[in-house]
Amino acid sequence: MSFSIRRLYRGDTSWDFLGVSRRVLTGSIVAVLICVAALFIQGLNLGIEFEGGGVWEAPASEDVTTDAIRQTASNVGMTDARVQRITGGDDIFRVRGELPAGETAESIGSALAVTAQVESELVSARTVSPSFGDEVAGKARRALVVFFILIALYLTLRFEWKMALGALVAVAHDIALTVGIYAIFQFEISPATVVAFLTIMGYSLYDTIVVFDRVKDNERSLSLKTRMTYLDLANVSLNQVIMRSVNTTITSVLPVVSLLVVGSLIMGASSLQEFAIALLIGLLVGSYSSLFVAMPLVSSLKRREPHWAEQDRNAALLSESNSIENAATALAADRYDRSAPPRPRKKGRKR
Amino acid sequence: MVLLIVGASLAGVLSAGWTPVLGVQLQGGVEVVLRPADEVSDEQFERAIEIIRNRIDAIGVAEPDITRQGDQVVIQLPGVKDKQRAVDLIGKTAELTFRPVITFFDPFDPNQRAAAKQVVEGSAVAEDENVDGDTEPTVSLSDLLTPPDQDDAAATVAVLGSTGQTGFVLAPAQLTGEVIEEAVATFQGQWIVNLSFNEEGALLFDQMAVANYERQVAIVLDGVVESAPTINATEFKGQAVISGSFDEAEAKNLALVLRFGALPVEFERDDVRTVSATLGEGTLRAGVIAGLVGLALVGLYMLLYYRLLGFVAICSLAVSGATLWSIIAWLGESKGLALTLAGATGIIVSIGVQVDSNIVYYERIKEEVRRGRAVRSAADGSFRAAFSTIIWADLASLIGAGVLYQLTSGTVRGFALYLGITTLIDLAVSFFFMRPLVVFVARRLVNERPKRLGLTTITEEASV
Repeated sequence: MSFSIRRLYRGDTSWDFLGVSRRVLTGSIVAVLICVAALFIQGLNLGIEFEGGGVWEAPASEDVTTDAIRQTASNVGMTDARVQRITGGDDIFRVRGELPAGETAESIGSALAVTAQVESELVSARTVSPSFGDEVAGKARRALVVFFILIALYLTLRFEWKMALGALVAVAHDIALTVGIYAIFQFEISPATVVAFLTIMGYSLYDTIVVFDRVKDNERSLSLKTRMTYLDLANVSLNQVIMRSVNTTITSVLPVVSLLVVGSLIMGASSLQEFAIALLIGLLVGSYSSLFVAMPLVSSLKRREPHWAEQDRNAALLSESNSIENAATALAADRYDRSAPPRPRKKGRKR
Repeated sequence: MVLLIVGASLAGVLSAGWTPVLGVQLQGGVEVVLRPADEVSDEQFERAIEIIRNRIDAIGVAEPDITRQGDQVVIQLPGVKDKQRAVDLIGKTAELTFRPVITFFDPFDPNQRAAAKQVVEGSAVAEDENVDGDTEPTVSLSDLLTPPDQDDAAATVAVLGSTGQTGFVLAPAQLTGEVIEEAVATFQGQWIVNLSFNEEGALLFDQMAVANYERQVAIVLDGVVESAPTINATEFKGQAVISGSFDEAEAKNLALVLRFGALPVEFERDDVRTVSATLGEGTLRAGVIAGLVGLALVGLYMLLYYRLLGFVAICSLAVSGATLWSIIAWLGESKGLALTLAGATGIIVSIGVQVDSNIVYYERIKEEVRRGRAVRSAADGSFRAAFSTIIWADLASLIGAGVLYQLTSGTVRGFALYLGITTLIDLAVSFFFMRPLVVFVARRLVNERPKRLGLTTITEEASV
């Protein structure tokens, strides 16, 4: 294991990404199916921004119980109110429910402030009309459709439609998994979460484009010289970008983890928490899908093209036992030409 | 060179005392999203937003941000004290009223103010029985004036003219803006406003004209007298002309006021949010600390992995950060655009994108070096390929940011804005800063010892 990590560090890997892709893809499909099922069975826990209603937040002290707050809420007519005590950092009471007729956000806030024994200035409130959520969701849907069309066009122009398809499938996969996890664990969906989903899409696409860019590059420079099959080509490219993917994922995840840990657990800012959870899941799934979903899909599409099918047949005829060997040869052929003779390579160097 | 520009802009921003304007969620305040209840024309909508802006200016909010986003108005009032009053005031459809003028007063003369106060209270005894007997000798202007949200049609009120130089004491309203069918500004030797009323309005207006013949009637909107023409006939038959020393803009504005009434649009409150200052500060503090810790971790990782190049990455982040700070401060100062919670989180996330540009480049360099190329030529040569990757990937982000910015509102829109800005900064910093610095490092500091870049392969080979 340590050996292969060292190879990874040196950018010297020759993992057979696509060889395992069938098994990995099956896993992905199962996961997506579970998530979609959860979405239909359990549905999403929508925040007030989508359902309408009101949320009040007041600082909580030790002497005030959640029950007292609940009692106050029902006294002002909010019988179905959900009352939570959110801990972490400074505790707060969170009351969510429909705004009763004849009351204002402020009047309820004051009532809660009295019970919570704080000044009413310290109570935060938010009320949303029910139609607003529909509007927000509608806009987001429309934006998504336009976005998908534009990105599909862009990728088709820049690369080719097969890659556009692969990238979009990977993005859809990421979103399905992230939304599915929200359905399974019943995390609340807020506009911040939607923003997080969009970020995930962005990251996933970004990652996939980096991979495709490299494949295209190699397609031009390597494949003409050799008898590489598309699988080899894809494998070589993936091995070349794996270190970037790993590093980028680590450096992207670090701030998010810090947002999650510092921001919400230590300081108790719950609005940051939702955002960070969605992002964390999405980032991990996103970099995975670029390597293991987008590329296998593209290569299985590309292998049907006459040129690559031909290469596949040639490779079969030559019955080379290990296609990676071939790739390694190709890389060696591409080695920057230096007058110095090739030097022997020592393995397992001490750091 | 780049450093100079960035440094100069940062210094400029700092010396001008500009700091980013913080959004409601980050410093407490009120955020309201309004949507018209019915279909409205663009003209009406713009007018309505202007009126809302005037009302907010009247209650004195430091940095209001009022923007139209599609068919919604998003109003952010960071740091506003009296939250409920602000919320009430914003969406209220105060009516345009015609009120006979009882008397005038000079708002700067204490005696006249006291007299006016007596007139107002004289007809409002029922409401204020206690203070009725003796009037205090000093009546401040704010005591005297009727607040816009108490502009009750049936009460006697004290209000100022639109210039603020004249005070009016006005009788209860005789008719409201609803009865006006049309109002147009026309030029007939001078600028005048033609008014036509509906049937009911024609009747009421004539009644008012008879009662107030040769006296002034004020047209009041939102507690401000827009115009106070003298009635010079008793029978109008549903048509009236207001003339005076208007210039074109004044006449057109008056026509608009008359046509659309106070708030020409009835708004529904889609989203009302009040955030206490402490909650806002908590979120801000959490965000800042999380951002700094995240940055520190990323920096540490880059240093460990890429050694000298990691240092370049940290410098790039610093330059981007300085640029971003300048831009946010500038946006806040000149456009009143506040940094929202979504925007702030977007920025924390963008750390990843910025660092990725570095990583793409560095991995290319390492790869080239591994293939046997010299470090300095690898640093030069890899940039083209790496930068093309960066451009194509950033372009996808920009498309996303553009679509989201155009088609959404509120939180998502704020996020899209900062995503777009940080992506552009990323491109610029990668090209103008990261590249020269990497090339410099490769030439001067590495001396063909790739270990300093976190490369082991070649060192080892060379040592054989």
